[in-house]
Amino acid sequence: MTPGAERDGAFVRVAAVGDIHLSPDCRGLLRPSFETLPLCADVLLLAGDLTRHGTVPEAEVVAEEVRDLGVPVVAVLGNHDYHSEREADVTRVLTDAGVTVLEGDRVVLPVAGRKVGVAGAKGFCGGFAGRSAGEFGEREMKDFVRTARRGAESLHRALADMSADGCAARIALTHFAPVPDTLAGEPVEIYPFLGSYLLAEAIDEAGADLAVHGHAHLGTEHGMTAGGVRVRNVAQPVIGRAFALYHLPLAAS
Amino acid sequence: MNGGESEYRIARFRERLAREDVAELGVRVEVRGASILLTGTLPTADRRDEILRLASTELAGIPVHADLLVARADPPDRPEELS
Repeated sequence: MTPGAERDGAFVRVAAVGDIHLSPDCRGLLRPSFETLPLCADVLLLAGDLTRHGTVPEAEVVAEEVRDLGVPVVAVLGNHDYHSEREADVTRVLTDAGVTVLEGDRVVLPVAGRKVGVAGAKGFCGGFAGRSAGEFGEREMKDFVRTARRGAESLHRALADMSADGCAARIALTHFAPVPDTLAGEPVEIYPFLGSYLLAEAIDEAGADLAVHGHAHLGTEHGMTAGGVRVRNVAQPVIGRAFALYHLPLAAS
Repeated sequence: MNGGESEYRIARFRERLAREDVAELGVRVEVRGASILLTGTLPTADRRDEILRLASTELAGIPVHADLLVARADPPDRPEELS
């Protein structure tokens, strides 16, 4: 792999993984691989489901895996990280370890004298265009669909805000999938629980150069939104490595 | 196996996988003829063994074939160039 000092051409080296589902029984599992990141990456993205049940002790395991890696670490949480209803504590433990945890927010990182923006939100399920749940009927159903809509709106806001930052590369980071392409391999019947087209709509409307998600363990890595934004499913079972690595071109300034 | 009864037992096994202590949503459970096929990738060998133990209890009496992988934790050998 190319060490940072020797690379030519303007691109950002994006390492990304999701669905690592760590708990105290797998302490140190990914650390040796993560320690190679300063040699090959400018940023590590964590696409949610970092823990198994969303407990503080599990979050502490994640924190130790990524603390002081020498590259910025940017994360969104996943549904597992919400399971114990301690997501605020999970976020705090990760933040204390130097991780930027995004939920409807963005971060701008300096890379090779340029700016790289990451907008992140967990997102939610709901389904894909023409096969999705509607905001109608029982309160529970409306709440379900509204949650998906609000998640997508928060991603849209973060991406739109980023457009004023003058970023040379813009990345959308979610846990749930924005497109069905990267779900191929999952049973079609559960697609509505794996993502929402509202996320892709937000990405296409606000603009991004790469969309990274997790959640679909049995899916595939590569997809694209209707607007032509590349989508990568980095769930660890899908990429089959400690992380995937993408060289994303930086736009001419 | 009795079709009706085993279908509910398989559904219960799936629910058990998704519940509190196991929380494993990445294992696919399919009926293949008279047996059950388990596929998917787990973070560690211990987690895989846990799933197999659970299957032997919950699906006792039904032949279970498992092809469960353990996720690789090594770094990638090359990047993808997004041009």
